[in-house]
Amino acid sequence: MIELLAQTGLNALYAASYTALVAVGLVLIFGVMGVINFAHGELFMLGAYAIVAVYADWNLPYLVAVAVGMTFVGIVGLGMERAFFRPLRDNPLGGLVASIGFLMILQALVSMGFGVRMEHVPPVTQDVIVITEKVRLPVFRLAVILAAVVLLASLWAFLKKTRFGWALRASAQDPEAAALQGISINQTARIAMFIGAALAGVAGALTAPLISVNPHMGHSVIVTAFIVIIVGGIGSLEGAVIVAVAYAFVHTFVTTFFDGVIADIVGLLLLLAVLIVKPTGLFGSADRA
Amino acid sequence: MAPPILEIDELTMRFGGLTAIDRLSFEVERGAIHGLIGPNGAGKTTTFNVVSGFYKPAGGEVRLRGETISGLRMHEVARRGVVRTFQHSTLFAELSVLENALVGTHMSFPPNIFAAMAGVDKANRRAARARAEEALDFFGLSRLADELAGDLPHGHQRALGMAVALAARPDVVLLDEPFTGMNPEETRRMMELMVKIRNTGVTILLVEHDMHAIMGLCDRITCMSFGRLLAEGNPQEIRHHPDVIEAYLGGARHVA
Amino acid sequence: MTKLAALLGFGAILLALPHALSFSQQEILVFLTINVLVVASYRLLTLTGEWSLGHVVIMGVGAYASALLSKRLGIYVPAAMLLGAGTAAMVALALSFPLFRMKGFYFLIGSFAAGEIIRLLWKRFREPFGGPKGIKKIDPMPDFDIGVYVFDFFEPISYYYFALAVVGVSLWVMWRIERSPVGLTFHAVHWQDRLAEASGVNVRAYRTLAFVLASGFAGLSGALLAHYIGTINPNSFDVEQMVFVLTWTIVGGTATFYGPILGCVVLTVLNEIVLREAGFEQMRPLIYGLIMILSVLFMPKGLESLVRGALSRRNANRKMTGETEATE
Repeated sequence: MIELLAQTGLNALYAASYTALVAVGLVLIFGVMGVINFAHGELFMLGAYAIVAVYADWNLPYLVAVAVGMTFVGIVGLGMERAFFRPLRDNPLGGLVASIGFLMILQALVSMGFGVRMEHVPPVTQDVIVITEKVRLPVFRLAVILAAVVLLASLWAFLKKTRFGWALRASAQDPEAAALQGISINQTARIAMFIGAALAGVAGALTAPLISVNPHMGHSVIVTAFIVIIVGGIGSLEGAVIVAVAYAFVHTFVTTFFDGVIADIVGLLLLLAVLIVKPTGLFGSADRA
Repeated sequence: MAPPILEIDELTMRFGGLTAIDRLSFEVERGAIHGLIGPNGAGKTTTFNVVSGFYKPAGGEVRLRGETISGLRMHEVARRGVVRTFQHSTLFAELSVLENALVGTHMSFPPNIFAAMAGVDKANRRAARARAEEALDFFGLSRLADELAGDLPHGHQRALGMAVALAARPDVVLLDEPFTGMNPEETRRMMELMVKIRNTGVTILLVEHDMHAIMGLCDRITCMSFGRLLAEGNPQEIRHHPDVIEAYLGGARHVA
Repeated sequence: MTKLAALLGFGAILLALPHALSFSQQEILVFLTINVLVVASYRLLTLTGEWSLGHVVIMGVGAYASALLSKRLGIYVPAAMLLGAGTAAMVALALSFPLFRMKGFYFLIGSFAAGEIIRLLWKRFREPFGGPKGIKKIDPMPDFDIGVYVFDFFEPISYYYFALAVVGVSLWVMWRIERSPVGLTFHAVHWQDRLAEASGVNVRAYRTLAFVLASGFAGLSGALLAHYIGTINPNSFDVEQMVFVLTWTIVGGTATFYGPILGCVVLTVLNEIVLREAGFEQMRPLIYGLIMILSVLFMPKGLESLVRGALSRRNANRKMTGETEATE
């Protein structure tokens, strides 16, 4: 029993790592630009397809593929900012619809380029760390967890220690005051969008070898990310990380001991409960809605 | 002496650690024009918000005709006969002037969805419309009935805000800074209208900064400072009350 | 008088329309008719200012209820449809207790969560919902004869006429509600809920009323759909369908009664007929997505703003000619 718990805990930690990356990106975009990026799951999907193309098809090293995926998706994010989020800054509902439109475009492009069938990426490494007979941690999963920790730590350092990070936090808190301080809203929006998109892309790239890659894989990712950022409190990066970990644990354990659908229902019930008791989320303070 | 229509009794309101109203008590006589004044931040609007049911008080009570109304929700307070206006021009800017006044008649002529679908609510609709037109007429807004409320000039918007409240035929109307943004001529006309309203039997409680209007209009004045009762009396007494002078001069010095 | 003539003419066009279409286009026409009811009911919901992401699931509640009632209990299909609508309204009433503790963005997310929970319950419980495979072989509408026309529901045309009648009556009822003092109160709650409340409006009761009414009509549209296609499953009512409803509504515009209907008709015709005929089979979602982005960028007030612009120009012309007549 203890072994089963330990194994489930390791699985949960892995799920938490990529969930946190996606959710933090979404929070960053919402915080700075005030818009819900519905296409965030498709940015995750693009990151996964970058691995299919660069690593599986062109046989370049995996790490190169991850870097290409991250940068490419970040640049796609910049394009989204310029093409519709910026002109629709005062129209959050319009921004939401535009991102839904973009989601359809991305799905269509990928379906046309790669086909709609599932892609399987060859494993990067088959090594497994055997902790006990029944508790095993594949090395690749460990690498994903570590990569997520490193990325989130460097994002944290960037936000707290650099001038750009300061500007970003300032405009997330109060865009008008930030503009008065001489912070360019366009610039902070670009930075937020690039980082947010790149985080979704890298999450997709990191998990691609472990899941089946298909053009519609973004859907379940975005639903999870929404739950996480609402429960965590929209606009709270720390909240998103903490809730991502907590949610991954609850979901993985319920899936293991009951089934996946029940786990989804439990997650949504938690979301509803939080919305009823404290609509601003567990770690949220300012009401931006 | 007749019992007061509205009693504020030991009312207390806190926001976090800040006490916005501190055991405030005063009474409003039936048929009076009663002013609530005080320097900025004295807690006048907060008092309005508690009386009208927008906030629940932390302590104390508000009684209407002896019945406790504090803690009720805003529409429940309104249904008992206390209707308020808001600071600035809070209106249904996207609706026409007539439609604004029609919303004011909601309590007297409550809509019924089944009657509306069956088309048997014609009498009700006509009566509501007559009431709304009457309220507009009273404030001289009849010829603007089809304009969008948001397009009206400021003075007319304030008048429309009062027309919406008066269309409900309240016993007590709470007016939050009714003269703000009005020129002297508009203020004078509005003062005349308020006396006319009072003469129809409506009790008026108003918050206002325009001292000239307050002194000329009110039967009785309550002055607050830092959430507490500072002084109460008729305009003459308030004008010469040393604490009131001190509070306003202190405020003025602070502003300067 | 001219209004009545225009209305009759429009009705005649709607009756004649299917005869000019191919079989597959007739089927699309049936779906379009049902979807018009979905978007119109969605607008009724948004009248009080709240946007829901659970509307399509509520539609599904009507579909599941009507399908199960007719299949399991043998209830006459039209009666089952009405009961399905009633079930959807009741479910909405129950959901309103937790959901209307929230407003705005939180209501949006809350309604999504509530809808997903219902959908997952269908998926999880094979009895009675059929699990992921849903319900198959749903009883079709029984054929009937009204003297001048024999309804043979094997034909899309017959079902189209039936749906047209149901949707027409529903739209008429919604139109009357919006034009009534109840509708005015909905608008008041939307634009200034505090002032409405100070005028004695029970804001929460009116929000609930709009939600329950809209859900009833959505449930009816779901029942219409279920007995037409004969098979439903949890994925028939997923977020993707909701996104379509949202898009039709926003692209059409919500300021007028006809805005969302316009959005639904124009985008459906564009997507299902123009793009299909033009041979863009695989690229359809791409072009559709592009149209969505372009329309919110360049037509933020929706398609209805074009119509209103044209109408006000015409009225301005008429007014001018009217004034010259008066001076004569």
